[in-house]
Amino acid sequence: MNRNQLQNNLAMTVTLIMGSMLFATLFLGYAVYRSSALMWPPLGIQKVSLVLPFLSTLVILASSWFMYQGRLKLENGNLTKAMVDVNLALALGSIFMIGQCYLWFYLKSTGIFLTTSGIFGSILYGFTWIHAFHMIFGILSLVYLRFAIKRNNSNILQTTVNVEKFWHFLGVVWIVMFLTIFVL
Amino acid sequence: MSGGYNEIHPEPTTFWSTYIISFDHKVIAKQFLWYGIFFLGLGGIMALLIRWTLAYPGVPVPVLGSLLFSDSGGVVPPDTYSMLFTMHGTIMIFYAITPILIGAFGNYCIPLQIGARDMAFPMLNMLSFWFAFLSGLVLIISLCLPLGAAAGGWTSYPTLSTLIGSPGAGQTLWCVAIFLFGVSSTMGAVNYVTTVITLRAPGMGYFDMPLTIWGLWLTAILNAIFVPVLGAGVLLLILDRVMGTTFFLAGASATSGSGDPVLFQHVFWIFGHPEVYILILPAWGIVSDLLSFFSRKPAFGAKATALAMTSVSILSTLVYGHHMFTTQMSPLLTQSFMTLTMTISIPSAIFFANWLGTIWKGSIRFDSPMLFSLGVVFVFGLGGLTGLHLGTVTTDLYLHDTYFVVGHFHYTMAASVLLGGFAGIYFWFPKMFGKMMNETMAKIHFWGTMIPLNGIFFGMLMVGYGGMHRRIYNPFVYESLQRLIPINSMITTSAILMGAFQIVFVINFLWSLKNGAKAVSNPWNVGTLEWTIPSPPVHHNYDEIPVVKCGPHELGNPNLKNGRDFQYQTEELVEA
Ligand code: HEM
Ligand SMILES: [Cu+2]
Repeated sequence: MNRNQLQNNLAMTVTLIMGSMLFATLFLGYAVYRSSALMWPPLGIQKVSLVLPFLSTLVILASSWFMYQGRLKLENGNLTKAMVDVNLALALGSIFMIGQCYLWFYLKSTGIFLTTSGIFGSILYGFTWIHAFHMIFGILSLVYLRFAIKRNNSNILQTTVNVEKFWHFLGVVWIVMFLTIFVL
Repeated sequence: MSGGYNEIHPEPTTFWSTYIISFDHKVIAKQFLWYGIFFLGLGGIMALLIRWTLAYPGVPVPVLGSLLFSDSGGVVPPDTYSMLFTMHGTIMIFYAITPILIGAFGNYCIPLQIGARDMAFPMLNMLSFWFAFLSGLVLIISLCLPLGAAAGGWTSYPTLSTLIGSPGAGQTLWCVAIFLFGVSSTMGAVNYVTTVITLRAPGMGYFDMPLTIWGLWLTAILNAIFVPVLGAGVLLLILDRVMGTTFFLAGASATSGSGDPVLFQHVFWIFGHPEVYILILPAWGIVSDLLSFFSRKPAFGAKATALAMTSVSILSTLVYGHHMFTTQMSPLLTQSFMTLTMTISIPSAIFFANWLGTIWKGSIRFDSPMLFSLGVVFVFGLGGLTGLHLGTVTTDLYLHDTYFVVGHFHYTMAASVLLGGFAGIYFWFPKMFGKMMNETMAKIHFWGTMIPLNGIFFGMLMVGYGGMHRRIYNPFVYESLQRLIPINSMITTSAILMGAFQIVFVINFLWSLKNGAKAVSNPWNVGTLEWTIPSPPVHHNYDEIPVVKCGPHELGNPNLKNGRDFQYQTEELVEA
């Protein structure tokens, strides 16, 4: 590994540690709320149907998988095929985001509101917003990656590896969110 | 993200690219220095207003009063008083000490002392400063709002910091500013960690790095891990304030599930305790180096000092509960946090003993950087000892939220870090600006700071022990505290004195910039890498990347034959 690669890997590692700490803090909060609540979901609130979050999970998993495939193809020097995979990852990521918007409308329609549903609503909306906010950066970096591949930048593989790590990270955070705040 | 190859970047040509959006770590360091000194002044004026109110409650503030508080006849009004101590704490910690110690010295020293041409990611470095700038701007805007700035203390505990406790945009902007500042700090952290790991000059092992770099590096690691925790906390607080969520608002738990105000305290201190070490570690590093340089002796147990600093950093992540003994924690938890807190004394005692070992029988030169370093040894000793009283549950239950705590953290943080910062400024000023600072003025500044400083902070310990609570507008409405008025006016007099002597520093700084004697490349006769190149260094620092052959503290070796009592890190070690 040359020094430039090492620098990039380190920087991405530190960035992911930072991201993990941010979301870890949110999950710590969730654990506290859950364990101190008398009942969950609180009285008068329905559990959220798992259909939509589950579909979102599949979409984001598939997106991560295409990202991984894209990097493999790039390593073999196959730029055009890699481009297809990155495009797919990008498309699936965008579909995930649309799904999240839909989720917020759906929550509203089932009577879970941001301001009147107490901590339950706060968690559902707040946490998914913060995740979605990070997704925007992920999607922007995928868009950037598309153009970088198109122009065949010199250290394109390095960029791809970094974007891929960040993208997987966002996927993992969503899955943890799905398992803890929707399934549990 | 593309990294630097430690290659020579072309020199910028326009004013804009040289001084404003500069990628050069030396320029960014100076930007942070000016930024920090500006906020130090602002925070200092706030401190004087707080002190005036505590010593002479109800008496109009001279000069400033008629300008700032004309509605109340020059007296600081109660709500303004809360804003003052809130913004004083926030400004000093995030906008004065952090930029000077971490922003300025970190940026200046890391590449120079490890023999690199710049940081690993110069552009990220530039962004880091401008995020800090934006954050400072937001904070200053919040001072000018009709309902005033944040007033819930620098710790911003809910319910004080929710809409119930502080309506108005001040607290929201406070959160935004802190979040932006966190973004800036973490950008810096990514850079520092990566730079130290990848850009050390050939031959420089980790234990060949000056201890300054050790301090800054550990600080950067703690920053990267714990600033995001605060980030999450203020993000939720912003959601509570702006969007109407209830993360930190208690409610009826059966019907809506209840938010939890105390959760914020946990989140704040999980960040906050490491944060206090984030601030002190660079100062420890600088002092460890300077004590050796000016005693003309190798640093005693330098390796042990580095490892002790590392253990403190690790332990500092496990003790945050000692800030919350009074929040009805279970005794099992308080006892555990107390034990862990006490454990920190062990590594702290190790490097403290090493400091004493370093100056023991040294040929001490009492130049201004050394005076300030010795000052740190003294005040940090006192501050550390008072920590033990607070770390012990039984005594803390009485001392918590009194001025004893305020005295404690001012000794450790304000005094030690401030003096350490001054030591660093006097030491590196010649390298930064190519001019020497005036030594007489520096010595006047030292004694004019050191003596009143102890009057202030020891006075705080005393009134705290006497039962005076912090953050109260007029404590003397309680009859039992009226006997403390004389000590309080002593504290205030000392504070005004200390403030006045800072003017000497500012004059010296500005005067030396223009008229100081020209600095030679190595005015202090020390061997670390930055002193092998001209003052100030050229744009790319090193024409040739240096090769390191010995440690940073090779001083006073009797076998040195070349008429010097020190050797450069680029020279083969002369066997003792
Ligand atoms: C030597 C070991 C230390 C111990 C055992 C210690 C212990 C404590 C304890 C128990 C408290 C909480 C007191 C209370 O609120 O009742 C406290 C507060 C504090 N300490 Fe330390 N401390 C130590 C060193 C330091 C250092 C090195 C710094 C900073 C550089 C520092 C900065 C602070 C600050 C800022 C607070 C109070 C924050 C606030 O409530 O506003 N301490 N310390
Ligand atoms: Cu602490």
